[in-house]
Amino acid sequence: MPVAQKGHRESVEIDEQVIGRRRLLTWLSGFGLFGSAILSAFSNFVFIKPRATYGPPTRFAIGKPDEFPPGTRISLDVRRVCVVRDGNKLAAISTTCTHLGCIVGVSDTGFACPCHGSRFDQDGNVTGGPAPKSLPWFKVSLKPNGDLEVDKGIEVPPGSYYNV
Amino acid sequence: MLIVHGVVFYDQFFHRWERQQTAYFDQARSLSKSEQERAELDARKPRIEQFMVTSFGDMRVDRCGTCHIAADDPRFQNHAQPLRTHSYSAAMGDVQRNGHWERRHKFSDFGCTVCHDGQGRGLENKYSHGEDPFWPEPLLGYVTQANWRAEFRPHLKGVEYMEANCAQCHTEENFAGTPHVNRGRKLFFSMNCYGCHRIEGLSEGTLAPDLTEAGKKFRVDYLWESIVDPRANLATSFMPKFNLGDEDVKSLVIFLKSRRGINFAETSLERYRSTHVSETKPQAATMKPAVLSTRAETGHGEQLVTEHACTACHKLGVRDGGIAPDLSFEGLLKDEDWLTEHFRNPRSRIPDSIMPAFRFSDEEFGAMAAYLGSLKTPPRVNEPADAFKTLCARCHGEKGDGKGITALYLDPAPRDLTKAAFMNSKPRDRFVKSIEEGVAGTSMPAWGKVLGEQQARSVLEYTLATFTREPARPLKPHKVPETNPAAATAESVTHGEQIFVQRCAGCHGRKADGKGPNSLDIVPRPRNLRNHAFVNALTDQRMFDSILYGVQGTAMPAWIDYGLSQQDVGDIINFIRSINPKSSGSQYASR
Amino acid sequence: MSDTTKDPGLLATIKKLPGNVWNSIFRNPLPNSDLERASTSFTNFFLHIHPVKVHKNTLRPIYTMGLGLISFFLFLILVVTGILLMFYYVPSTTQAYDRMLDLRGSVAFGIFLRNMHRWSAHGMVAVVFLHLCRVFLTGAYKRPREFNWVLGVLMLLVTLFLSFTGYLLPWDQLAFWAITVGTSIAGYAPLVGQQVKFLLLGDATVGQEALLRFYVLHVAVLPTLLTLLIAVHFWRIRKDGGLSRPADAVAPALSMQTEPAPNVALSVTAVPVARKRLYGLQGFVRGPFTKIGNIPDDSVFSWPNLLMAELFVFVLTVAAILCLSLMFNAPLEEPVNVMHPPNPAKAPWYFLGLQEMVSYSAFWGGVGVPTIFVLLLLAAPYLDRNPKGVGRWFARERLLANTIFITLVLVNVIFIVIGTFFRGPNWSFVSPW
Repeated sequence: MPVAQKGHRESVEIDEQVIGRRRLLTWLSGFGLFGSAILSAFSNFVFIKPRATYGPPTRFAIGKPDEFPPGTRISLDVRRVCVVRDGNKLAAISTTCTHLGCIVGVSDTGFACPCHGSRFDQDGNVTGGPAPKSLPWFKVSLKPNGDLEVDKGIEVPPGSYYNV
Repeated sequence: MLIVHGVVFYDQFFHRWERQQTAYFDQARSLSKSEQERAELDARKPRIEQFMVTSFGDMRVDRCGTCHIAADDPRFQNHAQPLRTHSYSAAMGDVQRNGHWERRHKFSDFGCTVCHDGQGRGLENKYSHGEDPFWPEPLLGYVTQANWRAEFRPHLKGVEYMEANCAQCHTEENFAGTPHVNRGRKLFFSMNCYGCHRIEGLSEGTLAPDLTEAGKKFRVDYLWESIVDPRANLATSFMPKFNLGDEDVKSLVIFLKSRRGINFAETSLERYRSTHVSETKPQAATMKPAVLSTRAETGHGEQLVTEHACTACHKLGVRDGGIAPDLSFEGLLKDEDWLTEHFRNPRSRIPDSIMPAFRFSDEEFGAMAAYLGSLKTPPRVNEPADAFKTLCARCHGEKGDGKGITALYLDPAPRDLTKAAFMNSKPRDRFVKSIEEGVAGTSMPAWGKVLGEQQARSVLEYTLATFTREPARPLKPHKVPETNPAAATAESVTHGEQIFVQRCAGCHGRKADGKGPNSLDIVPRPRNLRNHAFVNALTDQRMFDSILYGVQGTAMPAWIDYGLSQQDVGDIINFIRSINPKSSGSQYASR
Repeated sequence: MSDTTKDPGLLATIKKLPGNVWNSIFRNPLPNSDLERASTSFTNFFLHIHPVKVHKNTLRPIYTMGLGLISFFLFLILVVTGILLMFYYVPSTTQAYDRMLDLRGSVAFGIFLRNMHRWSAHGMVAVVFLHLCRVFLTGAYKRPREFNWVLGVLMLLVTLFLSFTGYLLPWDQLAFWAITVGTSIAGYAPLVGQQVKFLLLGDATVGQEALLRFYVLHVAVLPTLLTLLIAVHFWRIRKDGGLSRPADAVAPALSMQTEPAPNVALSVTAVPVARKRLYGLQGFVRGPFTKIGNIPDDSVFSWPNLLMAELFVFVLTVAAILCLSLMFNAPLEEPVNVMHPPNPAKAPWYFLGLQEMVSYSAFWGGVGVPTIFVLLLLAAPYLDRNPKGVGRWFARERLLANTIFITLVLVNVIFIVIGTFFRGPNWSFVSPW
């Protein structure tokens, strides 16, 4: 009968609407939940990565250029860096052995590590021992107030000096 | 949930300090002179800048440089905060070399908070500047906290407040960089704070709180308040409100703020020595006073009195602290023995005196007593009104209401002469005696020695007429025995004590010192019955009268109405006398 | 009638009190019949992890040597002793070493508890490894137990990590430099190595942050993770049909069991059992047997057999640890001195094999080869699809797999031995005699 048919069709349409709405809501909730999960995971990662650390600072002032006369190699033990001045060119070479983290000492031919016998030349290249990589060079820059600053967070290619 | 997450995310990124740093990079870029520098600035990303300072006590982590990133960049001297260069000044030891300033107190060595206070670890203004009222060390001289009294706040700002922190290392007495600390220290002595307050290494006062670490414990607003409103935090404080100008108070506050109980310039050995080895002061007890000629002695005494700022409280000559009695006629009023004993321990003569016991040698005490004893010039007063104004109003008040400028600091308080109920209930002779002979054990001196008998009486008349005003009514005689009929046996004393504890201790206190639980609500305060000098001068008759029939105009009831018999009162009197032995020695063991 | 029971009266109630309390806790009597023995598995919280019956071959000591159980009990000992130690330990670079001295000096049983913790830790690493060997060499990882094997490998890694994080906590020279070496090795990983090292250490070098992070990992994160893995591992044992054993390939001819026996009322439909289970919960009926299909088999009740075996292993483990703790003290060297690395600086023994390999090649020794090992282990059950040889030691059908495995294990052990005894200052070859 037409009325019943119409009613049936209407109810089918309504049913479809209901199903469509339900699906939409489910999809939206899923999206929201999943998105939140992603955000949470990302937040956790950002949380765990420290923004400020309490160990020795990676960026520090080492003094004025005059304090490093040309031709000298001055090793700052506590900072784990050796400041090399060649004429008017300055470099900061790491004194942390690339093998397992000991402090290398300055030797006649460059650097020598007391732990496992790694040997390096004047520029930090490996000449012997178990060290896998050469000693990294760090960025040297001049601060606005005239101090030299070494940044151990930024490595520069060996051989690139800072011109005073 | 996603939206909230998003908001949380946004809150944790895009901090204000990141924007400050980006602004700095931009501005530095426009100021930079080389391509390389510009490239470096372009590559820089905002990050937390911190100094970790371990040379000054516990490790300090100062992150001020995160926003104040231009602090060490000389090109930003005219920029607005926070991107302004930290000032250079010769007063801070900075020197100019080749047209550049060189900082003496490098940030990498000192950090920021050791000089400025504030909260090094915070990264928002509210926390890092110490505006949060829970933070005990707001930026000195720059920040006031919300719960500070509004009337103090304008006084508590000013870069001079930072001198308090210079003094943590620069502890020398007249260091050029800390003029306010120096002035405050001088005031500490010249206003006689040192007499009551102890500061390690400076003074030995015992009556008042120890201020050795006042700067560490308190913020500047509390220090200011404690000086200008001593009763703000303790209603029963007997610290006088000294009459100090704002500049003086500021210097004192800065001086006190510099007292942090730490001295970074001191070695461990010095510190150990100063706390463990007591200073050797001349042992005056066995010293006989040197025999000086009278003139030399009084001269020395006068010098001591002037140097040690007795006029911070007392009146002497042209100076008047406005807190303690007038000493101008002391030679007439007191003898030298009394003065010396009083110097050694004021409470031996006046039990509730707030005058601190200073540490002088016997010889010095003697000299000062001699000096005061030499003040024998009577005042030039003709009219009773003048006499009252010059001599009486200081304690009894210009209106005779017992609210003179020193009244707050005297115990027992000066009598309220306007209280007709009291004034008219006592025989005239008693008042005459009080004026002429003084009241032993109180600050009421024997004015008769200054004024003469005739003038004393006329002052009394003047007082009664002007202040009491109500005419006297005939007194009903009370029937009281002249001497105590109850024998002073142990049982009598015990019984008297029992009744005392039951009836009297509520006002007069369990120790009969007038400090019972009700005492703070009663004016005039209940009598201190352990005031030997006072009690021993009382006749039995007067005591009977006061107890049985009360004291009009005061809260002392007529105990005969509350069931005490004469026998009971006799026992009480025996008890009171038993705690006031008649000895010639001082009330409390001196020293 | 509303209430048919009489109120017993106060005196009688008090007399019965102990009994009532006991019965309220222990609702079932000690088993006396098979029915009761079977029911222990689901009437007790702690026992319900057990199956009602186990195959008797799995109880033979020679077969499993109880290694899995030993490692579990060692874990329990570690948790208990660890928590007790937490009452006195402070993860601060300035206080940690002094606290270790306190534990050794003034704390009652401190030295003993620390020893127990240390030796159980070393023991657990060793026993877990032996358990891995046992499972491999008996082919017990094969289908359907592949995922359980994967869980086991994960647990091995977590155990190693637990031991590594705990190693740092005494904050003495031994601890500090071992961890410096270990994290440097981790830093060799490509791309993420330095990031992971920074995350682990919380800083560029080993310091207060590293100590704090290692402490948190060691007492909270990793034990929770390990507990979860253990729980799933046990669950899988049950669901995979119990421990593997020989003659497991025989599927009982269940199609014959659909006919119910005359005097047994079955209230269940016969479910064709695809898995090799011998019984099913649905088969628990009032009757003399608890399995569907009355086929004779070699299973025995968990209560008391399995439980006695577990108890026995537990007692042995605890006794062994107690003896070790009495006889040997856990080491405590000098306090950390950052400027003074020892020569040579050695990683913990279970990483010495790695360190030896690292001395030949940093990347391959530290990252490459270990990763390959772990991947091989994880992939083993999926690569080895030969269904034969399960449940027997050194089954001939598995000659190839066993040979490869034993070779790699031996190589690792040899490296560890070299690293321990034959390496001296500057990592030069020295003779231990």
